Amino acid sequence: MTASRRAPFRRNRLYLAGLSPAAFLLALFFVGPAIWALLSSFTNRALVGIDAANPRFVGLDNYVRLFGDPDFAKVILNSVVFVIGSAIIGQFVLGLGLALLLDYAERRGFLATSLVYAAVLLAWVNPTIIAGFLWVAMFDFYNGSLNVGLGHVGLGPIDWFGSGPMLAVIIANIWRGTAFTMLIFLGALRTIPSDIYEAARVDGANAFRRFWDHTLPMLRPIAALTLLSVTMATFGTFILIQALTNGGPALQTEVIALYAYHQAFQAHAVGYGSTIAVVMLALNLGFAIVFLRWSRARA
Amino acid sequence: MTSIAPNAGVAASAGSAAAAAPSIRRPKKRAGPVEWIAVHLVFLVVCAFFLVPFLWLLSAAFDEKATAYIQWPVVPTIMNFVRLFTEHDFGRVLANSLFVAIATMILVVIAVALAGYSLSRLDLRRKDWITYAVLLLQTMPISATMVPIYGLARQLGLRNSYLGLILIHAAIELPFLIWLMKGFFDSIPRHLEEAAWLDGRSRFRALVEIVLPLARPGIGIAAGLAFLAAWAEVLMVVILIDQQDLKTVPLAFYEAMRTQGGYTEVQYGVIAAMGVLYLLPVMVVFFGARRLMVRGLMNSTRGL
Repeated sequence: MTASRRAPFRRNRLYLAGLSPAAFLLALFFVGPAIWALLSSFTNRALVGIDAANPRFVGLDNYVRLFGDPDFAKVILNSVVFVIGSAIIGQFVLGLGLALLLDYAERRGFLATSLVYAAVLLAWVNPTIIAGFLWVAMFDFYNGSLNVGLGHVGLGPIDWFGSGPMLAVIIANIWRGTAFTMLIFLGALRTIPSDIYEAARVDGANAFRRFWDHTLPMLRPIAALTLLSVTMATFGTFILIQALTNGGPALQTEVIALYAYHQAFQAHAVGYGSTIAVVMLALNLGFAIVFLRWSRARA
Repeated sequence: MTSIAPNAGVAASAGSAAAAAPSIRRPKKRAGPVEWIAVHLVFLVVCAFFLVPFLWLLSAAFDEKATAYIQWPVVPTIMNFVRLFTEHDFGRVLANSLFVAIATMILVVIAVALAGYSLSRLDLRRKDWITYAVLLLQTMPISATMVPIYGLARQLGLRNSYLGLILIHAAIELPFLIWLMKGFFDSIPRHLEEAAWLDGRSRFRALVEIVLPLARPGIGIAAGLAFLAAWAEVLMVVILIDQQDLKTVPLAFYEAMRTQGGYTEVQYGVIAAMGVLYLLPVMVVFFGARRLMVRGLMNSTRGL
């Protein structure tokens, strides 16, 4: 803040120029598509046929249709179940548990700690499409490792994609995404000095009390942000589910991103697909604003 | 959604905490045998869950008669890899993917170095808003905008073109990496470059000669993450590319997976071989510089 308050644009013009390549790309591929979706949602734009060349303005027809669409109600319900199951219960709880376990094991000097850490991380960094393929094989009815393994202990076989498709995609997504939560919590846990635990131990606090009184309060602020962040990431899941079930059978795993895609590219209703995209963007914006407020409150 | 960083904000909070109190460790206490066994039993279960799919991938890749069940091949063979290159023209696919990922990486590094530095040094009253706008874009799922991006790319003639693919891959990575780089530049004192200006260097030369060398770890992290993200991204490839000679690895993988059901017999072995080759660069980049990468995601994004 050394320069004068006058002529801020003149003073900053080089910096604004430096921002411009990135700003151009962001405008073209983030802002542009969002506006395109909003405009298309008021038309009957189609992928093929007569409406493809000359989309007509149809006002709020798409929105009226969307909110009366029983399939869309099912899709929203699926998305909620998927997010709660895989992000909130699965990744968050498992990630927190793993972070606590690894931090504990690290403080104890267990050598296998880094192997477990790497295993969880590997599932996270591998390309999503590979994750999809791996779990297609794992869930295979006749030869899949899961069913064969269950057979060895006298259980199953389970028709994963037939009778429990939602559970299957949730398991795959837990496998894939747990590392993020684990990394965040591990980072936070590592900042807690061991002395605190020693002091509490000397005071006679048991393991549960040490966790409840000392560990948890230090994790709470980051927990809310992590939860919201994981929720947003999971809400946009597309490729993993498409690879595993493609939304089926009978829309049982069709989440919102898949529904938008299927309406636009399979039913060729781009206008309607855009309407779904707009709803999705609006919901995400809501999450994001809450997220920013919380993180600002923390800063 | 890109795979690497679901959200920057959390990492920032964790990072600032980590920065405030670098880990203070006491000498380790010896664990009792019961505790050791209990912890390692849990470790075993966790490792099984996370590693069995990868072990299957590895075993299937070297097994000509691979099935979905995990078993080490009776006669390990590299026939799957040979078939991949002779029957599926995988050499070309691999080269295409490398080209796209490296070009994206270069573009991203240039764009985020400029943008991160500029955002760090910008002196506007409403600068916060720009930072928040970048964060807001970071949370926008690419799966929500894929329909419009398809439409837009068609109108702009960017379908079946690497230019389009590279620009889009770069754009997807920008919000998070701008934010990451801004954090790095914030930690470099301004008086260094101001001294260089007084010496008569231009603003750009001062950036290249003085500031960028100091930001080298950040640039390295940004380059690594950009490469990984472009290498792994599949959604945009699927909607933008359908010309066979432009095919990249994720698309080849996607097609091989999709045609397996139904009429043809599942070629698990060949697809698994493809998966191993697809995974290899990821493991090299990420685990070769794991600490750097994880630190990049967790530690250097303070400064909001």
